[in-house]
Amino acid sequence: MLTTPRLIVIALCAALNVSLGTVVYLIKLPIYLDSIGTILCALLLAPDRIVGFVCATLAGLISVALIGLLVNPFYPWFALTMVAIAAVSAFLTAGGAPVFRARPMPVVPFAIRVVLYGIVTGIMAAVVSAPVVAYLFGGVTGSGSAFIVALFLKAGQQVLSAALLSGLAADPVDKTLQVLFAALLYRATPVDFIKLVRGQ
Amino acid sequence: MTPNGAIVFGLVVVAGAMLARDAGLAMLAVVCIAFGAVEIQSRTLRALTWSAGIVAPLAAFMAVVWIGIVGRAPDEIAAGVTGSRTAAMAHVLTVSGRLFLVALVVQLVISRFAHLTPLQFIRSIAAPVTVKKLTVLTLSLIDTILQAVDRARTALIAAGVVTPGFSMRNIGHGFILIQTVWLSVITIATGRLKDKWPAENTLARLDHALSSPSVPLGCADLIWIGLAAVASAVAVAVR
Repeated sequence: MLTTPRLIVIALCAALNVSLGTVVYLIKLPIYLDSIGTILCALLLAPDRIVGFVCATLAGLISVALIGLLVNPFYPWFALTMVAIAAVSAFLTAGGAPVFRARPMPVVPFAIRVVLYGIVTGIMAAVVSAPVVAYLFGGVTGSGSAFIVALFLKAGQQVLSAALLSGLAADPVDKTLQVLFAALLYRATPVDFIKLVRGQ
Repeated sequence: MTPNGAIVFGLVVVAGAMLARDAGLAMLAVVCIAFGAVEIQSRTLRALTWSAGIVAPLAAFMAVVWIGIVGRAPDEIAAGVTGSRTAAMAHVLTVSGRLFLVALVVQLVISRFAHLTPLQFIRSIAAPVTVKKLTVLTLSLIDTILQAVDRARTALIAAGVVTPGFSMRNIGHGFILIQTVWLSVITIATGRLKDKWPAENTLARLDHALSSPSVPLGCADLIWIGLAAVASAVAVAVR
């Protein structure tokens, strides 16, 4: 399962997760790009869903550990979120791999899949993250979505449900963008590299 | 102290911090500061400052939300009572204290082994060789990607595709930078995989370097882990 090319892909995708934060910082993009590598890993190994899930999970968990050690000590609490994103990517998003690589690009099917997979990934991420946001951070993580949490709390919602509702409002948009970026990177990846990774 | 012992110590403190409240958190903080004073001496102050610096913005944000906007604590929301800003402040202090402890213990463990190279640190921890190998490869590729980011960014700025500061053009063209970086890194990784590493026997050497057995826990490890476990148990009991 873990051939040398696949080990390289896992490391590459984990490094992409960690490094894209730097790109975001440099060009001041108002989004998070911390799961693109995980989604991309599942797409690169699309024909074998189990291998895709294992490799995407490893890429996600290694990036979570490294971001936790190098940048943000609270990030490892979201490890389960990364596993959930890997699962959705391997068992759902990877199904769109042929459409993502089709030439010329079938714009409507491409867009429909990106939005659908992004929303599902976002909902899963929000559901899995909510207990961490509610318990470890008391519902407030320091991002702009904290004010959405505040509105729900002010309206009398419990911390957990406020964190969940806030996540459901913000995560699908962020994850749709990440699925879009992962799909475009997958589309741009040379076919020789994909064959090498898949052992074809 | 060994890296494995320090990691277990950190995990025990974090577990205790997650279950503890005010007095318990203070007790765990004392254990952490004692750990710092013995194991990293003067660098403890730097670890404390760093942890306070990373938690301060979060605490300020929480204060705005809980004390300023919501005006009552979660327990009071759950009970459906009017609540008070004092209770909200106590909640903010508890959560901030917990986050501070998590940040502090991570920083203390990192500072304790700051003299080791990443390869030496990874080699000494108890983990499957594949996981160690992946971590080393990832660290190596992070550097490669960051260098590719520098090169691609400079080239795209020179070509007028992106700008150094914030601009609408960056939002529109930001993906070109990401794609350029990805394609550069793939080329480098494929070159290493097909030519460089087989010629230098890199992966076999890496396997050999990482397969040495991890150092068993020593006396200092057991003392610190024991102290952290006792403090965590007491912290949970006085909750």
